[in-house]
Amino acid sequence: MKRLLPGWKKAVRLALVVSVLFGLYALTLARHDERARIREQPVTLTPGCADKLARYGLEAGPRYISPYVLARTEQANTRQGYSDEDVRAIQRGCNIIDDLQGQLAADPARERWNATRFVRGTHSSCDHCHQGIGDKQTAAGVPQTGSLSLAASWVMADMYDQFTGILLPYELRQMQCYINSSNGYKPNVADDLIRDVTAYSRFLAAALDLRFGNRYAEQGIDEVTASQTAKRGDDYVRGAALFKERCARCHGPQGLGTVVDGKVLFPAVAGPNAFNLQSRNNFSFVSTILPGFICRNMPPGEEGTLSNQDCRDIGFYVSNLPRPAGDKQGPLAALWQQLMMRVMPPLIHTVETWQRPGEPAGSGT
Amino acid sequence: MTGMQPDAALAAMRDRQRAARQARRVVVTRGALAAAAVVGFVLWANFGSGRPVFSPHGTPETGWDAFRETYGVDTFGRDGYFVRAIQNGYNLVHHTHKYAWRFTRKGALDHPNACIDCHSAEALAYAFAASDRFDARLGRRVSFEEHVMRCYATHLDGFVPTTYDPAVRDIRIFARMVAHHLQLGEGALERTP
Repeated sequence: MKRLLPGWKKAVRLALVVSVLFGLYALTLARHDERARIREQPVTLTPGCADKLARYGLEAGPRYISPYVLARTEQANTRQGYSDEDVRAIQRGCNIIDDLQGQLAADPARERWNATRFVRGTHSSCDHCHQGIGDKQTAAGVPQTGSLSLAASWVMADMYDQFTGILLPYELRQMQCYINSSNGYKPNVADDLIRDVTAYSRFLAAALDLRFGNRYAEQGIDEVTASQTAKRGDDYVRGAALFKERCARCHGPQGLGTVVDGKVLFPAVAGPNAFNLQSRNNFSFVSTILPGFICRNMPPGEEGTLSNQDCRDIGFYVSNLPRPAGDKQGPLAALWQQLMMRVMPPLIHTVETWQRPGEPAGSGT
Repeated sequence: MTGMQPDAALAAMRDRQRAARQARRVVVTRGALAAAAVVGFVLWANFGSGRPVFSPHGTPETGWDAFRETYGVDTFGRDGYFVRAIQNGYNLVHHTHKYAWRFTRKGALDHPNACIDCHSAEALAYAFAASDRFDARLGRRVSFEEHVMRCYATHLDGFVPTTYDPAVRDIRIFARMVAHHLQLGEGALERTP
C-alpha cells in the first residue's frame, strides 16, 4: 500500500478536527432548534397547575385582569397582558414547580427541560418546600404566612442575602435550590428551566397584585427560634420519638421517603434523595427554618398540631440523619456522608429487627 | 580537627553567628517591609486614594441626594448593599459614559451618551415591571437584563456586558427601587400603578 505523503497526513488530521468541530456545532444547532420547537408546543398542565392557572385566569391577550383581585377588591386591576409564548412559559414554569422531575409528564425530558440533569436524587420537587405550587393559601383563600411564596419572593428579589453575602437575584436563588435543596447542579442563568419558573413567579405576583419591594408575610418561612420555646434547647431523643409517632408513617421510619409504583408520594428527608447538609432547610445549617416549615405544613391535614418545641426537636433529629454533604464541604465530608448513607440504614434496620422481631421494622422506604 | 588555634576557631564561630544574625535580620526586615507595603497600600486605597474602585461607598454624583430624598431610597437603609447598588444604578443611568465606559463608545461630548437621555427613571421602572415578555420583533421572550444589554450594544454604540455585570444588575436594581417607590405591581401599565 502506498504511504500517504506527510502533507496529506496533516490535511487528514486537520479535516478530522474540523469535522468534529462542525459536528459539535451541528449538534448545538439541533439542540437549539429542538428547544425552540418545545417552546412552540402546547403545554399539558398537571392537574394542580390546570386548577391554579384557571383560577387566576391565565390566557393570552393584550390585557390581564386578575379574577382573584377582582373578587377580593371588586376592582378590575388591569395589567399588561400575555402573548401565547408568555402563557406557555408560565404554564411550563408551573409544571416545573409542581412536578420537577416529570413524574406526571408523558415525556419528562422534553416537558421539564431535562430538569433531572440538575437534581441528583429522584425525589425532589420544588413543591415539596414551596407548597401549593409556590402559592399556598389558607381555607379562606388568602396566602398563608411563611409559606415560601414564589410571588412574594420575586417582588423582594435582589436584596442582600446574608448566606451568600451578595445581592441575590431571583435566578441565582433558584440555582441555590438546585445545588442544596435538590443536592444537584446549577442550571445556566438563561436556561429555560430558570426562566420559566421566573415567568410563573411573576405571573403569580400579578395575579395576587403584589407590589415591588414590599415585604409580604407569605415570603420565606416564619421561623421558629429556640427562644420561642419554653425549654430553649433541642432534644434529639424526644425528636426521634416524635418523628416515629408523627412523621414516619409518611416519610418512612428512617426518613427515606415513600415511593409507590415509581411515584414519590412523600419525599425523603434523609438519605441520598434528600436535601444536603448546606441546604437552608437543614437544621444544623440554619436552625430556625426547618422547624418553621414543620410547624406550618406538617403533618399534612393536621397542620398546627405540633408545638414549637416539637418542631424544633423533630428538626434537630431529622438533620442528624445521614444525608449528602454540601457543595462547599469538600471530598472528605462527602465521602463520610456517603458512607453513613449506605451503612446506617441497613444497620439500624438489622438492630431494630433483632430487638423487636415481632414488629415490622422500617426498611426506610 | 585541623591545627586551628582556639582563638581563631572562636572568631570563626562568632563570624558565623554574626552572619546568621544578619541573614535573619534581612529576612525579618524584608518580611516586615512587605507586610508594611501591603498594609500601607490597603490604608492608602481605603482612606487616601479617593478612587471609587477602592471605596465601599458610591460616588455621590450631582442630583443623587435629591433623588435619594425624592424616591425615599432610605426605606432600604442608609448604607446597605442594596442602597449602594441603587446609587451605582443612578450613576450608570445618568452618567453612563463615565460609569460604564467599557460598554459604550460614547464620550462626554456625545449626545445622547446616557440612559437618561432616552429613558426617565419612571419609564425604566415600568419597563422592568412589564419585562420578560414576548418581543415580536425578536421573535422570543426578552428579559429586562437583555434589553439593557442590547441598549449598550445599539443605542450606546458599544459592547455587551454579561448579565451578571454590575452595569446591568445595578440598572435592574435601580428600576426595581423606582418601581417600589411608585408602588408598581407586576405588569403595571404606565399611569395605572
